[in-house]
Amino acid sequence: MDWRTASDRDAAIRLDNVSVCYRMPRERVASLKEHAMRWLQRRTQSEEFWALRDANLSVERGQVVGIIGKNGAGKSTLLKVIARVLRPTTGRVRIAGAVAPLLEFGAGFHPELTGRENIFLNGALLGFTRAEMRAKFDRIVDFAELWEFIDAPLRTFSSGMVARLGFAVATDVEPEILLLDEVLSVGDTAFQNKCYERILSFRASGATILFVSHNLGVVKSLCERAIWLERGRVVADGQASAVVNDYQYGAFHADAQQHGKKTIAPEQRWGTRRIEITGVRIKNDRGEEQVAFATGDALVLELDYCAHQPMSAVTFGMGIHRQDGTHLTGPNTTLSGFPLPPLEGHGTVTFTIPYLPMLEGLYHISVSAHTPDDLEMFDFHDRCYPFRIVNTNGCHERYGLVTVRGVWSHTRRV
Amino acid sequence: MQTVSDFYDSAQRPPAMLEELREVWRYRDLLAQLIERNIKVRYKRSVLGLAWTMLNPLLMMAILSIVFSNLFRITLEHYAVYVLSALVLWNFFSQATLTAMTELAWGNSLLQRIYVPRTIFAISAVGTGLINLLFALVPLAVIMLAIGVPLRPALILLPVPILLTAMFALGVGLALSILAASFADVVDIYHVALTAWLYLTPIIYPQEIVPAHLQWFFRLNPMYYLLETFRQPIYAGVLPALETLAPASAIAVSALVIGWWFFARNADGLAYRI
Repeated sequence: MDWRTASDRDAAIRLDNVSVCYRMPRERVASLKEHAMRWLQRRTQSEEFWALRDANLSVERGQVVGIIGKNGAGKSTLLKVIARVLRPTTGRVRIAGAVAPLLEFGAGFHPELTGRENIFLNGALLGFTRAEMRAKFDRIVDFAELWEFIDAPLRTFSSGMVARLGFAVATDVEPEILLLDEVLSVGDTAFQNKCYERILSFRASGATILFVSHNLGVVKSLCERAIWLERGRVVADGQASAVVNDYQYGAFHADAQQHGKKTIAPEQRWGTRRIEITGVRIKNDRGEEQVAFATGDALVLELDYCAHQPMSAVTFGMGIHRQDGTHLTGPNTTLSGFPLPPLEGHGTVTFTIPYLPMLEGLYHISVSAHTPDDLEMFDFHDRCYPFRIVNTNGCHERYGLVTVRGVWSHTRRV
Repeated sequence: MQTVSDFYDSAQRPPAMLEELREVWRYRDLLAQLIERNIKVRYKRSVLGLAWTMLNPLLMMAILSIVFSNLFRITLEHYAVYVLSALVLWNFFSQATLTAMTELAWGNSLLQRIYVPRTIFAISAVGTGLINLLFALVPLAVIMLAIGVPLRPALILLPVPILLTAMFALGVGLALSILAASFADVVDIYHVALTAWLYLTPIIYPQEIVPAHLQWFFRLNPMYYLLETFRQPIYAGVLPALETLAPASAIAVSALVIGWWFFARNADGLAYRI
């Protein structure tokens, strides 16, 4: 029965080329009568939907892995395949160890039964025997703080009490492999903290944990490794903070691309257009267009212009606003002492920021072309070009707007 | 912890039907608790409690006795026992199959999240029905003694027709529950079908009131054989005849095999539905 070889002796979960295909009827047929009619008329058509494609994965014993991705990317399907709820359409799933899926709290409860009876029923659904549940019973009720109500029917419980009971039953396990699907998103803050503490203690006890969440901060702090799913495929798998950052970059990039397709709204652009700014590009220092940067990265802004008539004195400027409206900076060619020659036709002005001092957040760039005395605005694009600062390994500052790159030192007075 | 066996390999799985049997055995504690729950929930909010299981067929019998012996002038000896014995078994079958559908509907949301052997819901429905049947046998015995139908040794054989009916009900319940999980109208259709089926089976009327040239019609009805094997030891005090016992056994076994196969074939689809 032992399929493990020397190389993957410590693998708790192994997926080899696993794909899962849902067959979805093209039109939802809810009644047998209708289905029979369609079948007779040979009109039962269904569409294939690949929720998971060629997933290869090996999770070591004791690893805590976050699974991130948009809705419908296959995260829950991945957990279902591992929990044995779904059989893979193709490929092979191997699990070594007892799997404990964390139920949505309260699923499987019955309103007419008492709290006590529900604890035993829920335990049985999770695969525990009555004897095992008897041993756990006191601990569960203690944790849920429900001794007074334990023999009352569940229908008399408040929803918060039901959630507490469900959580207490579901997490009173010593699992080898724990599957968590978005569990930290239910309940109030106190309850979430309680969940969080339990998960930390599972982690401390050496359990292998797979954790699906949209809360990227939690994934970063809880998991050592993260897997990013996109349309059923694993697109990144590695150190949690790195994968989460990539994901944020990527998700933002997709947003920005959509953003870029939009034409600039009329109220965001004004000027006499004797000179027009015809193109704006945000790049990194390798000359690649980019929308997400880390604090300390270089940013290169390129402005394409078209002077419809000869212009002797033109000033180009740019500005950066934070999303809350704070105006961070607003340099221009005149103020910076970079006078431009007379312009005619097409050209490009480049502005290089060697070190972005801003901390994490969303920022917008404005660009302008005007006379050096500011009396005539030729073209102004107000906060049309977004970019994001994501804090990565380099900068750990969290307070305020910017880093001043200060250096600490210490002298002991004798 | 036995949620999932310690080693699971999706590429090495026994045939679905066998695997399911093994898993049901591992989850026998859950099965017991589901049955317990069904019994408890049913009686929790009713004043009469368990007595209702016994009263219900009695009242039915009383009404039918009055209607049939006075209005239709059926002069069947010990009609009360004739009709009550059949009703008890019929109720068991109809309840078990209907409960199988509601049980799986309840369990379906769980099956999206955790692994539980899926046949366990239909099995618990039949188990619940069996317990109710045992309770319903008490008033039957009382009536028999009251109107002078002797309790004869042939009754020892009653577990055989009960077991056969349980197998039949499980097969039908499995097939129906998986259909009901996909199509909302299955429960309604089945309710209507059950009523028609009740009147097409010689339960409340003697078989003889149907003209001889139409008697063949009963022989197409699986419940006819099962009812006869159950009623003969009670009503007539004789062992069931081989010509009813043999078809009853064949029907029970094949219904169970077909129902189980149909269920296993379609059960994987339950979790795929989104």
